[in-house]
Amino acid sequence: MLKYYFLLGLRSLRRNPALTALMILTLAVGVAASVSTLTILHVMSGDPIPHKSNRLFTPVLDNGATKGYVPGAKPGDTQLSYTDAMNLLASKQGERRAALYGVEMAIEPARKDLGAMSSAGSAASSDFFAMLDTPFLYGQAWNADSDTKAEDVVVLGRSLSEKLFGNSNPVGQSLVMIGHQFKIVGVLDTWEPSPRFYRASDAFGVYDQFFIPFSTAIRHEITHDGGMSCSGGATKPGWQGRLESECTWLSFWFELKSPSQRQDLQAYLDNYAKEQYKLGRFQRQAKNQLFNVMEWLEEAKVVGNDNRLSAWLAFGFLLLCLVNTVGLLLAKFSVRASEVGVRRALGASRREIFTQFLIESSVIGLVGGVLGLLMAFGALALIAMQSKELTVVAHMDWEMLALTFVMSICAAILAGLFPTWRACQVTPAIQLKSQ
Amino acid sequence: MKMNLEIRPILSALLRSKTGAILVAIQVAISLAILVNAVYIVNQRLAVVARPSGVAAENEVFSVGIDNRKLDDHAAQIAMQKQDEATMRAVPGVASVIRSSQSPLSRSGSTTSIALERKQTSASAHVSYYMTGDSAIKHWGLKLVEGRDFNPGEYLEIDQSSSKEFVDVVIITKALSQKLFPGEASAIGKTIYFGLGDDAEATRVIGVVERLQTHGANKGSKGEESVILPIRMSNNPYAIFSVRTETGQRDKVMKDVDVALRAASAAPIIVKTRSMEDDRRKRYRADNGLAWMLIAVCVLLLLVTASGIVGISSLWVTQRRKHIGVRRALGARRIDILRYFVTENLMITSFGIGCGLALAIALNQLLVSKLELTKLPTPYLLGGSVIFWILGIIAVVGPAARAASISPATATRST
Repeated sequence: MLKYYFLLGLRSLRRNPALTALMILTLAVGVAASVSTLTILHVMSGDPIPHKSNRLFTPVLDNGATKGYVPGAKPGDTQLSYTDAMNLLASKQGERRAALYGVEMAIEPARKDLGAMSSAGSAASSDFFAMLDTPFLYGQAWNADSDTKAEDVVVLGRSLSEKLFGNSNPVGQSLVMIGHQFKIVGVLDTWEPSPRFYRASDAFGVYDQFFIPFSTAIRHEITHDGGMSCSGGATKPGWQGRLESECTWLSFWFELKSPSQRQDLQAYLDNYAKEQYKLGRFQRQAKNQLFNVMEWLEEAKVVGNDNRLSAWLAFGFLLLCLVNTVGLLLAKFSVRASEVGVRRALGASRREIFTQFLIESSVIGLVGGVLGLLMAFGALALIAMQSKELTVVAHMDWEMLALTFVMSICAAILAGLFPTWRACQVTPAIQLKSQ
Repeated sequence: MKMNLEIRPILSALLRSKTGAILVAIQVAISLAILVNAVYIVNQRLAVVARPSGVAAENEVFSVGIDNRKLDDHAAQIAMQKQDEATMRAVPGVASVIRSSQSPLSRSGSTTSIALERKQTSASAHVSYYMTGDSAIKHWGLKLVEGRDFNPGEYLEIDQSSSKEFVDVVIITKALSQKLFPGEASAIGKTIYFGLGDDAEATRVIGVVERLQTHGANKGSKGEESVILPIRMSNNPYAIFSVRTETGQRDKVMKDVDVALRAASAAPIIVKTRSMEDDRRKRYRADNGLAWMLIAVCVLLLLVTASGIVGISSLWVTQRRKHIGVRRALGARRIDILRYFVTENLMITSFGIGCGLALAIALNQLLVSKLELTKLPTPYLLGGSVIFWILGIIAVVGPAARAASISPATATRST
């Protein structure tokens, strides 16, 4: 019987084609708008490293000057100074520690046809790779020894490696970067955590093309690619001046064995801040903060207000489309009062009528949902065409897709409930009499 | 008079079958609330995008970044910069070239804190600063509203890595002058300090330009709080220049400059050229994107609402065929039937608009509290209402005309 109702539903799509098309189109547009904005929002605010996002922590310390400081005010910057990053690296807290900053470096490929190019990457300490479980295509990360000796070694990202060396394994070869020979020790497989949470700025920027040891970048005096804040007193000129200064420009991550060790780490940081206060730093005595990955995304406002606004709007729009569908379904069903009258007179129960009409509205929901999904694909493809940055964001997530699809069909069925109930209210005697 | 007489029967008819009317009213209310807020946001964004940068004829300006130079000593680097400038000036179509540490709207540059007195503990302003090797006023065509441009003798060549030398004179923007010295006739001759405390560098304001946006082109007046310093820096591995071309030749000159610079260098260098137009587009991409998305949503909203009204009105016409036939048979003219439906629709949309206005204000309150938006001005509410009244009439005319064409003979038929 259900199958028969389903076929009836399909057939009734052809009856009243204008009204039906309008209904399906309205639903489809509503579904497309909400699916596409939700996908963007979901990818942007998604967990970039689900299996350990609650064990990775970034510290925020306030090393600003007391002058002009209002107690309780937020620190001017969430990054760390070189002094603090080095102290925390040496702290032995947690399982792993990594200091890093963004760098942009000139590369002179061995292939003369390519010409010199500049490329963006990260300077990170060796724990970075194990901490973030980066997949390696060839070779491996450099070891802690390379960190200490500040060796000229590099791990390439897959796309840069393919650009420079094609599909061959470049491990062991060397690459001229900023005029120095860097030995290639590894190549990452495609690794695109979205959002790119591990560095403070530019969470949806271009992915890192290469990685070099943090200490090596410091030795070559490679300036940072990102923001720097210098609120803490005077700075001496030059690179050494920067390293000694209270300027903040570095990111730092701890990996803990379990989320429960957070208290220990917090206690360590508080203790560290007290020590530094005694040494004449951290005069503000502000609260030290720890953020795990998801808290950090919230704190760093990775998901912009514009994206939230779009998502809200899309939901408002979907609501409107649903109200519209209710009205149109009502119109569609009401002209069939005589049909209901006849069926009821022939012995169909209210329940059966209800089932039939509900299935019919589900068919409309299904068709509208499928069409909406196609439109959402189109919209996301269009968005991706607009800019490279958004390509990273606008790829569909299947789980998300299934969820929104089911949601849209449920919404359509919900919209069909009221008109269906109204259709069942037909009194057969009156209907038949008026015939 | 006739209108008044009609409203009562229409109202009582509406109250008998409320469902359809309520659905239409809800649709009007929701779309009015969204539309009014969306249009307001669009206008705000487009106003931000339309702000002038202060640079005259932006389409003829581009920036050049040179990287991967082996850095020699200070004097050699300065000489190199000047040689690069000469190379670029020699390219046909180049009107002028200056060394500038940053360009407006490029989203990459430096800010510093400014104070009016040494003993100050917090900054009076955070400004974006342009370190220029030649007259930026001439090069960018900035409008000098007070004072004078730098004299050639005032430009300093400073080694960033070892020297703490600083300039004595600066040019500021009008927006900054108004922020630092509100209510004062002139900022010329005033002293401002770069940085705070004893190490702060004292400089004297010698000129005020009408406008020069910061590198970030922030929203509000902060986007125009910039200072120009007569400094040519060495020891920054990335040297940035700004080039102005003859009218209409920018794209060609950009390529030629790139080629000329590479050809002039023995070692491979990286040259990055970027037009100001491109910088502007990138700076405002998010604003433009949001604006267009909202416009698309608004158009869809109107279409969906109109289709809803058409749908429900058509339903009513079908349901009331007999009733209309009876009225026609009793002497009602076509125009009376038409007016009945239009009046009915106006009443429903008016009710919807009333609810919609309340909803729009509530939505705006929510946006103000959650997304740092400003309060919705009244004209938007009025404009939105008018749009929906017109939309309602347009949408109902079709079904109403169909109703008016129903023959009086319908009343006599049984179906």
